[in-house]
Amino acid sequence: MLNYTLRRLLMVVPTLLILVIFAFYLMRLAPGGPFTSERPLPPAVMANVLERYGMDEPLHVQLWTYVSNIVCCFDFGPSFSQKDRSVNDVIAQGFPVTLTYGFWSAVFVLLLGVPLGIIAALRHNGFWDYTMTGLAIFSQIFPNFVLAPLLVLLFTLSWGLLPGGGWNGGQWQYIVMPAIALGTSYMASVARLTRGSMLEVLGSPYIRTARAKGLPERTIILRHALKPALLPTLTYMGPVFVYMITGSVFVDVFFSTGGIGQDFINGAYSRDYAILLGLAILYAVLTFVLTLMVDLLYAWIDPKVRAGLS
Amino acid sequence: MILSAARRRLQSRAFAEEQAPEMVASRSFWADAGQRFMRNRMAIFSVGMLGLLILFSIFGNLFSRWSFEEIDWNVLGRIKEDGGPSLENGHWFGVDELGRDLYARVVQGTRTSLLVGFIAGPVSVLLGATLGALSGYYGGRFDRTVLGAYTIWLAIPYIIFFVVWQAFFGRSMSQMIMVIILVNWTAGLLIVRGQVMMLKNREFVDAARMLGMSDTKIIFRHLAPNVLWVVVIYTSLVIPEVIMMESLVSFLGVGIQEPNTSIGALLSQGASTMTFGTLWQLGFPAAIFVIAQVSLFYIGDGLRDALDPKER
Amino acid sequence: MERRSFFVAALATTFLTMPAFAADVPEGVTLAEEQTFTYRILDEFSSFDPQLIEDTYGSDIARDLFEGLYNQDSDGNIVPGVALNHEASADNLTYTFTLRDDAKWSDGTPVTAGDFVYAWQRAVTPELASPYAWYMELMSIENGAAIIAGEMEPTALGVSAPDDTTLVVNLSQPLPYFNKMVTHATTFPAPKWAIEEHGAQWTRPGNLVSNGAYVLKEHVPKERSVRARNEMYWDNENTVLETVTTLVIGDDAQGLTRWRAGEVDMTDIPAGQYPALANEFPDEAFAVPRLCNYYFNFNLASGPEAFQDVRVRQALAMALDREVIVDRVLQGGQFPAFTFTPAATAGFDVPDVDIAAMTQADRDARAKELLTEAGYGEGGEPLSFTYLYNTNEAHQQVAIVATQMWKQKLGVDVTLENQEWKVFLETRGAQNFDMARGAWCGDYNEASTFLDLLTTESGYNDAKFSNARVDELMADAKSSSDPQPLYTEVEQILAAEMPVIPIYHYSTNLMLSDAIQGWPINNVEQNWYAKDLYRVAE
Repeated sequence: MLNYTLRRLLMVVPTLLILVIFAFYLMRLAPGGPFTSERPLPPAVMANVLERYGMDEPLHVQLWTYVSNIVCCFDFGPSFSQKDRSVNDVIAQGFPVTLTYGFWSAVFVLLLGVPLGIIAALRHNGFWDYTMTGLAIFSQIFPNFVLAPLLVLLFTLSWGLLPGGGWNGGQWQYIVMPAIALGTSYMASVARLTRGSMLEVLGSPYIRTARAKGLPERTIILRHALKPALLPTLTYMGPVFVYMITGSVFVDVFFSTGGIGQDFINGAYSRDYAILLGLAILYAVLTFVLTLMVDLLYAWIDPKVRAGLS
Repeated sequence: MILSAARRRLQSRAFAEEQAPEMVASRSFWADAGQRFMRNRMAIFSVGMLGLLILFSIFGNLFSRWSFEEIDWNVLGRIKEDGGPSLENGHWFGVDELGRDLYARVVQGTRTSLLVGFIAGPVSVLLGATLGALSGYYGGRFDRTVLGAYTIWLAIPYIIFFVVWQAFFGRSMSQMIMVIILVNWTAGLLIVRGQVMMLKNREFVDAARMLGMSDTKIIFRHLAPNVLWVVVIYTSLVIPEVIMMESLVSFLGVGIQEPNTSIGALLSQGASTMTFGTLWQLGFPAAIFVIAQVSLFYIGDGLRDALDPKER
Repeated sequence: MERRSFFVAALATTFLTMPAFAADVPEGVTLAEEQTFTYRILDEFSSFDPQLIEDTYGSDIARDLFEGLYNQDSDGNIVPGVALNHEASADNLTYTFTLRDDAKWSDGTPVTAGDFVYAWQRAVTPELASPYAWYMELMSIENGAAIIAGEMEPTALGVSAPDDTTLVVNLSQPLPYFNKMVTHATTFPAPKWAIEEHGAQWTRPGNLVSNGAYVLKEHVPKERSVRARNEMYWDNENTVLETVTTLVIGDDAQGLTRWRAGEVDMTDIPAGQYPALANEFPDEAFAVPRLCNYYFNFNLASGPEAFQDVRVRQALAMALDREVIVDRVLQGGQFPAFTFTPAATAGFDVPDVDIAAMTQADRDARAKELLTEAGYGEGGEPLSFTYLYNTNEAHQQVAIVATQMWKQKLGVDVTLENQEWKVFLETRGAQNFDMARGAWCGDYNEASTFLDLLTTESGYNDAKFSNARVDELMADAKSSSDPQPLYTEVEQILAAEMPVIPIYHYSTNLMLSDAIQGWPINNVEQNWYAKDLYRVAE
């Protein structure tokens, strides 16, 4: 197992390198640059600006400088659009924000979605199944850009219970609505996947064997069915979790949380190459860690997978 | 000693034959599945709804008094007061912010969105699922490469990708569908990979191997039916996502162009004015979206139940 | 460097007469206990560094944190800031500002003319690479362009401080409106010692030393920034507001909801919602003129052949019913435009142009005639082209309505093409379009900020319009004491040639809580100073 983990970890560096090279050239192919503006800069001013950010060098030199600055000093460069800040500053300030509301959002999704799915599976095609599916649908038909204004209308404008936005260092009042708005549609997906995989597991030979042995239903479900049934859900949640903790542009913009979710989008629109590359690397590292964790989870739950990996 | 006894048992011909019913998809599998699906009333009802939606998108225009791009100058500027659904002026669904007939626009938008959703969604998932299955089955270096590509692809700034695509290939419906598939090919990859990783060490796969079956045959004949449920559910999750993604892609200039529209575009326009008293602009496109999505839910579940190889 | 002797020339002295310009609280008004003001902006501003700021939100904050030579009053007139008055030499090439001696930085250091010299040199330094260095070029300060190009040392800039309260500026061309340009953030003083001590970190709260009415207290990027009263400010006793908070709320509708919830005192009105809100909140919804125009560019360089025919351009311009666009689509108190320069521009009288005097029915009829004469439209060659705009709800609405008008009135077939902002800029800048959207907001309150755009050399002349007479008139206007007749002639040429179709002139739409008083409604540049505002008790 250790061997397997090490091999996977060895992939990190080449993967990131390919990502950086690919993203770097892709961004430069996009029309417009960070300093393209409504008023075209006079050539002399443009030349100064390009030199200031090292963009007067040939592309491969810029790429080399970028990579070596990261390797030597963990320096991801200055932001083009937020002139007083470096990429490190931007991520250090915004990532804790999205990490917080994203984490709570994931907790919300799992705590509601998984039980919903399990109950629906246990009462397959019964009243509870349809009710739960109905609830799941209900939550999925509210895309966040419809749900968020509704939440604010109710909780802020009508009842005055929660502030309509802001972060304030991450007090709980400021986390509730972003977490719900971000998570609701995923809750439906989680419920559906859990229901599907629970049904799958409940129909499998070894559960049938357990039933034949006369084990109590509760034991069968909690001891034998739950763990393997949760695997597809958790696999699904791996990348979703990465998405959640890096925030959503909609939530960041709508609730003014100040997270990095909006930087993925604003960085692209303003051609802030440095921010975009920094975020791409962060995203890749998180994806890497989460997929590895999910795989290890498989190995932990299923001895045969463990044997297969080693 | 016990171990070797077990191994001997595993290698015996008798064992393989005992496992056979589970591994060989019986000839009547698809027929059975069809029958099981037909028995699921919700699923059949949903198929009917989806059929109606498709008919609506094709023939809906026959019942419209306005074209989807015409501005009704009489209501322009008084949308909030006079722009609601009305039988008198022929705006069955009311008008949009520019006084254009919402009914005609919803019909037109439904056509776009169904086309994009039902092509790009399933194709993306099939791509992802196939790669995931191969990755999970073979493992090793191939698996690590696929995971690497997966990681890179998720991290690529996709807006830039769309913008570059637009710059090089311009705008059209087929460009848009292609772009959406390209961005979504990772859909369902991990989850199918995980399922295959678990299934490939099951007894019935060992047995199939012992019977001398090729890897391809094992994957597509014996493993695929067991992961079909994931593919089906995932597809029903991805289609609505794709329908929403379309509006972003069009926003960036790759997809459709005004005055053409889509359900995604109508929804975001409607949502942006939902607090200003023109709720019908959100309500009607949302209703279409809900019908499509609910139908997909039940069809997905119905298919899952029908395709479950263990429910025989 | 040669310094012009301004003593030999007859001195033209301008004394600013406005005495007080801090919060002007009338008698009998009860001020609120908590003197706070919270306002909403759409997205994060570019910087706190006055020389680096490149957006209006940043400039708004800079005007509170820093004080330049002059400020603006509630009507947009210049009033003393750090400078009390100035003298311009007869040839308008030398400006001498007299600075007040009681201005202080927030750390107690006196504000001197040297701080301005430092800041202005800093703005053009190639190492700082401020994108707004072009503004210093626009101000025509001697050697500015050469320093930006790296041909001269920053110290060669035509600005000097003979003593702590005298600032002398030498210009390379006479600019009659130079004094109006020093209210801009790029020209604000900078604290050399703080910048040298903290480097790039000097704008962080705690490090930032400022000379305006406020100091920076807190900054959470993309969420909020808070500024508090600067006790060292020379006019501190007349400042009423204690704290000013800027909240970033990226969604107009959400901004309005939070305004309704009382979480912000001021927000922009979402597109098209002004009439409804003015009805609901007659005292709190505002639509006031703003120094911006909106127009369509014909591509005269490489566009369709038909656009070379002035009759086609006139026909398309006439068939647009601007009243409908303004009153029934945008609905925010915008002004139908028939001239390029907005009427709100200071010292600008809107010239009479034929198209403005006609009724819309006449215009429609004339448009049909012109198009037929040119051999297009009904009975002639079908006219079709593409209209390019950047993706945005309001631009899209204007585009759709305009194309429907052309289609219905003239039978012209227009395909819409939307592009993402930066792609749009590239495409338009490279003349890869038939017709494209254009808009401009004045850099300073004078007609040349608009009309210069349509000169041959202008970097923003996307229509590629070139008219020798216009170029000549605009060059003359730079040194004329009464440029209005020149501007009138330029506008008349534009109306006759129609290289761009003026559509409307902007208005600012905002919701402002009636508890906040002192807002400069009549300032068409919407340059506001928190020190002029106050909150009354509810």
